[in-house]
Amino acid sequence: MSFKVNALLAALLVGCALSVVNARYQARHLLIELERLQQHARQLDIDWAQLQLDQSTLGKNERIEEIARTNLEMSRLTPARTQYLTDGGQ
Amino acid sequence: MTRNAQRPGARVAASKGMAFTKSPVLAVRLPDWRSRLVLFVLFAAFAALGIRAVWLQGVSTQFLQKQGKSRYERTLELPATRGRILDRNGAVLASSLPVRAVWAIPEDVLNSPPEKISALARLLDLPEADLRKKLDSDRTFVYLKRQVEMPIIAEIEKLKIDGIDTRKEYKRFYPQGEVMTHLVGFTNVEDKGQEGMELQHQKTLMGVPGSRRVIKDRLGHIAEDLGMFREPHQGRDLTLSVDSKLQYIAFTSIKNAVEKFEAKAGAAVVLDVHTGEVLALANYPTYNPNDRSKLTGEQLRNRVITDTFEPGSTIKPITIALGLETGRIKPDTVFDNNPGYMTVTGKRIRDTHNYGVQTVSGIIQKSSNIGAVKVAQMIPQQEMWEMYTKLGFGQAPRYGFPGAAAGRVRPWKTWKPIEYANMAFGHGLSVSLLQMARSYMIFARNGDIIPLSFLKVEEEPVGQQIISAKTAAQVRTMMESVVGPEGTASKAQVAGYRIGGKTGTAEKIVNGRYSRTNNIGYFAGIGPMSNPRFVIAVMVDDPRGALRTGGSVAAPTAADLFANALRAANVPPDSSITDIIIPENPLEESM
Repeated sequence: MSFKVNALLAALLVGCALSVVNARYQARHLLIELERLQQHARQLDIDWAQLQLDQSTLGKNERIEEIARTNLEMSRLTPARTQYLTDGGQ
Repeated sequence: MTRNAQRPGARVAASKGMAFTKSPVLAVRLPDWRSRLVLFVLFAAFAALGIRAVWLQGVSTQFLQKQGKSRYERTLELPATRGRILDRNGAVLASSLPVRAVWAIPEDVLNSPPEKISALARLLDLPEADLRKKLDSDRTFVYLKRQVEMPIIAEIEKLKIDGIDTRKEYKRFYPQGEVMTHLVGFTNVEDKGQEGMELQHQKTLMGVPGSRRVIKDRLGHIAEDLGMFREPHQGRDLTLSVDSKLQYIAFTSIKNAVEKFEAKAGAAVVLDVHTGEVLALANYPTYNPNDRSKLTGEQLRNRVITDTFEPGSTIKPITIALGLETGRIKPDTVFDNNPGYMTVTGKRIRDTHNYGVQTVSGIIQKSSNIGAVKVAQMIPQQEMWEMYTKLGFGQAPRYGFPGAAAGRVRPWKTWKPIEYANMAFGHGLSVSLLQMARSYMIFARNGDIIPLSFLKVEEEPVGQQIISAKTAAQVRTMMESVVGPEGTASKAQVAGYRIGGKTGTAEKIVNGRYSRTNNIGYFAGIGPMSNPRFVIAVMVDDPRGALRTGGSVAAPTAADLFANALRAANVPPDSSITDIIIPENPLEESM
């Protein structure tokens, strides 16, 4: 009887020990994965900042006006050639 | 060692019936001290081990544990970026990106082949001689170039030069460049704010890097996270009140004006009437914040906020408003301004023309100095001083902008009659352009004044009533007449919109005296008059061309600015006049 209990406990102990090993292994892997993803997130943040900066640089009013005037041959709107429509219509 | 007692099984010398070991021949007589010595030595050795164990475990544990940790634990830097600066619509005005500082161990670098060093010099955009001069040093650490952008770093790393390494740092980029720089400011190489909003909000923008402890394995992978050592604090983003589009419009108007009128400088500010937000603040000459290598003080100067000037005639509406408010005059009160000059304690005050008999409205429309003085003389000096103080003249401003000037208004008790007369038309006191623009809020807003803000305002601020809504409306009507064919600011007329304002021309003080030839021209105005939306103030400093007065240099600049700003802000036109008539010889205001 006592031998059986001992054997059972020993088996349990070994099982637990193995699962601890496995858990540690998993944890380490997940940690590395987490680290990698955080790095990726940081890189994406930097890219995002870069893209916003590019948007702001390319969307500069100065540049838009320059292109509109020279490439697209547009000119400024004046009230003299604008028809204003008012709500309720008069 | 004592002699062995007889034991069973001990070998016995058969012949003599005596134990072999007991043979007297073999009996060695050892002195007692020897055994004691051995015992003592052994004991001492054990004791030494014990003491050592106690020493290691008890006394120097911390030191040893620290040493152990330092062999497997690593501290990782957690980067924190400086917050971005955004305009009111979310466009980026300043943003930090990671770059690298390139540093070297000179001795190691100088051992590498010369063609590699010249390639490095080319990549760093430095003359090779300069690079070699930097490397010719006894130190073990020399910065070669700071804030080098990532693509170049990749090229440098490809060269694989010994003794060259990089360090992570941040560089601030200003996409709007020269247009926005007087407002946004800039940071230095250490990422610290030096000017403008970058300086004002250094504490909230600044990021504080953190660190954490990890255990790394042989391959450099993180094996275990030991937790945060110091939490990183990311810099917070800052949303300004400025509108990029209006800022660009203001900047172009000022730039064109300075070039057209051959002026030394120009400045403009656009305020939101309802929220007190600074929508645009432009200065010319300016500089590019991304490349400040040739920066001069003249370019750096913020003429809207940190410079003060004598407001000249732009102050007259305030003088008149106080007269109206206290019931001393009415818009149609008549003043006899013949013969075009008057004397106050022996000093002569002149108008450019003899306007004869004028109403109060006429005084503003034609900008009569004599009229303004006559109105002021009806008002006690103390009341006038209180009015200036309530409007913030001579008071330390609280805009939240570094270096904002307070202007100068001397205590009323020291005013001599001639000085008081001069103040009625804006001489003998000084204000900044921003203070001037803010004081016009009382006319644009039914008589109350609100604090200005450089940050986006979520809630409309509560104003402090200075004059009644009735007085404000009366002065507005007078201001609108200024911007008409009959007024001094006929060139400030805008097609499609009703504008009101007041011109001003101040003589610059050159070598301690008023100069007849060096002027500053101003225009401060409100638009559109049917439902005021903007207060705009324009200043053109020292125009050297044919046109020099406020009405001929600042007024058309303001008109250009109003026209484009109102259109850009989608304000419906409130006037059907689309063709502007500017008289051939427009009226010039007196100085």
